[in-house]
Amino acid sequence: MTDFFANFLNPEKRLFVGYLISAAFIAVIWLRVINKKPLTEIVSGFFSTQVWLSKSALADYKLMVINQFFIKILAPILIGQLALTVFIFENMHFIFSRPSSSIPVWMVMIIFTTVLFILDDFSRYFLHRLMHRVPILWRFHKAHHSATNLTPLTVLRTHPIEAILFSLRAVIVHSLCLGVCFFFFAESVSLIEIFGSSAFVVIFHSLGSNLRHSHVNLSYWSWLEKILVSPAQHQLHHSINPKHYDCNFGAVLAVWDNIGGSCIVSEKNQDIKFGLKDQSENAHKLKNLIIGS
Amino acid sequence: MFNKRLTAKAVPLTVVLGSAILISSSAFARSNVYADFPITLKDYSGSSTTSVSYKGQMARHALESSLKKLISKGDMSAMQSYFSGDDANRAIIAPATKGDFVIKQSTIGELSNKNLSGKTYKGLVPGWVGSMTGPEVVAFMFEKAAESEGGYDPSHAMDYTQLVSKFLMGAVTYNQAVDNYLDEKLEADNKPNNKPYKDGAAYTGKEHVWDEAFGYFGAPAHTLTLTAQNVYDIAKQKDAAVADYNYDGKVDLYNEMAFGHAYYASSFDKGGKTTYLHDIVGAYMDGRDLITSVNGRALSDSERNELKGYAQTIKTNWEKVIAEAVFKYAGSTYKDMMKIEAILESGGDVSKEWRNYSKHWGELKGFALALQVAGKDMGATSVKLNRLIGYSPLLLGNTQVTGIDSNGEYIQSDSETWGGYMVHMLKVQNLMVDEFGVVARSNDQTAGLSDLVNSLGAKSSAEND
Repeated sequence: MTDFFANFLNPEKRLFVGYLISAAFIAVIWLRVINKKPLTEIVSGFFSTQVWLSKSALADYKLMVINQFFIKILAPILIGQLALTVFIFENMHFIFSRPSSSIPVWMVMIIFTTVLFILDDFSRYFLHRLMHRVPILWRFHKAHHSATNLTPLTVLRTHPIEAILFSLRAVIVHSLCLGVCFFFFAESVSLIEIFGSSAFVVIFHSLGSNLRHSHVNLSYWSWLEKILVSPAQHQLHHSINPKHYDCNFGAVLAVWDNIGGSCIVSEKNQDIKFGLKDQSENAHKLKNLIIGS
Repeated sequence: MFNKRLTAKAVPLTVVLGSAILISSSAFARSNVYADFPITLKDYSGSSTTSVSYKGQMARHALESSLKKLISKGDMSAMQSYFSGDDANRAIIAPATKGDFVIKQSTIGELSNKNLSGKTYKGLVPGWVGSMTGPEVVAFMFEKAAESEGGYDPSHAMDYTQLVSKFLMGAVTYNQAVDNYLDEKLEADNKPNNKPYKDGAAYTGKEHVWDEAFGYFGAPAHTLTLTAQNVYDIAKQKDAAVADYNYDGKVDLYNEMAFGHAYYASSFDKGGKTTYLHDIVGAYMDGRDLITSVNGRALSDSERNELKGYAQTIKTNWEKVIAEAVFKYAGSTYKDMMKIEAILESGGDVSKEWRNYSKHWGELKGFALALQVAGKDMGATSVKLNRLIGYSPLLLGNTQVTGIDSNGEYIQSDSETWGGYMVHMLKVQNLMVDEFGVVARSNDQTAGLSDLVNSLGAKSSAEND
């Protein structure tokens, strides 16, 4: 259960209570100022039992709990991280000369933090795209897309196999980044951190990343949505409408979707139904989420 | 008598009384100085007042230290004299008096007229060219040192001062202690405790076996009263006050100086992560207390087993000290290679860094060879270690010494890339961790990486996008 509560208390996690509060604050501003909704409607919408106690949301909670146990089997993958990092570091010797002169630590911090962020974001986009495009991977990923109500907790509505794949991705990316950067910058490698987490991660989450999985269709200017993925764009990604299929795979940067031809900008007042086409009520049952229907 | 420190200085009466009460109230109170153990032989009629004697071992430490100085001069006859000669008047070149660090002895004969060749490991030395025995390796290195300038051959990046010095520490002192005195000489019928070691001796067989093994380690007799930093400072001749235990104004090379692997143990322990020096000397002390306690009768099987337990503690820790040194100098060699590569890329002069590279590799190789002359088969570890290090450092043009011809000249062949050999050094460090469990890990080239993975590595998460 410690891991479960860590989701809400650790600033590295999207569900950190501080990010949930900031997301709620941003949502209120958006719905009140842009959508001109009455405050009472906004507040009652936040606490709607139709959303939080819907079959879809209840399925989110069940998978969250189940994954706390599955995540334990990820421990060996994380232990292997050091071996992989050392392997990458060693193999760098065959390609490059190891520099002995050092560059300023602040510069190394900027380089490392940026490289890690870009590589991390690209790999999320790439694996996410594969989860949709490769039939066998889609069988696991559709557990996430069967959500018909989106709440911030839907971020943890993940098939256990997908959780393993995403953890493997994280291990590979971090190992690559650390192995390569350590080769060039040695002990100077460090992260620009806010509250002990990457500055990029904290900024992304503080600016309402939790609204991606919500019914608050916060959008950006069109030009900006080609650079950064807005919550409304991610909601399009969850749309049941075939014209939105396989769009907006990106996590933070929309650049990857733009290059890959999968970027769709949001529409004003878009009204989207979430879920899978023709899915039955049974789709939210744990058996169907894990084993498939 | 050596153990006089408490009475030699004026100490407040209250402190003396307090200490006396404390000591007498403890059932486990014991001396913590390796000296003045009584004579237990029943029929001894000589004039000695103690059964402790290991002057021959300290003479060999002095010979090794002096030889190290002589190799850098390249004088073949002097080298041979200190290795295999019998002149009692050979001067102790190192350690010599330095400022207020006054050395009591000035000739080898004042300790004991010994040589090194008779006690050098006679088996095959794996990891050196030409399938040579220990004495043959030394003779070969002497010849090469004499041919080169100051014991240094830049064309093959060989530093014979370091190679000989570190190799002999293994092939003489380490081998004699762990492969002889702490091995077969602990058996019941070999140097028994109810008989003198030799006719007329003041010590029993086992007493002397144990004392000689202690001498080979090279620690001051009062090590357990000192910190690792103290012992390190003694070896570096920086602190005469802590060395001079009996306050005679001189440092006695017999029992107040730090030599050989005891010095290296102190150098690692002063970092605070390890306690090799005190673990080893403590085990020697425990073993000697046990032998003394049986008062000249033969040791029973269970007593000998207990003694072998102390011997095993000594062997294991001693081996780790050498493995720590291999680890350290693999790291130094790696760092030198980084510097050389950078200088070469900028078109600069590498002669200074090349000298350091040769020196550090010589230390690495010397310790690696030392690790393999303890009389035990290291199996695959030995093969891996020797293949990773090779017979010479990696030379410019990516060649390495791969053997010798019939005239004893080095043969060079294509080898690893520069980066590839740097990886070899990292793998040597890994090998020392995996096979010997080294802890101090000086010059660890991947420690920062492991810290970074712990702090910045991926964490488990089931988050989806």
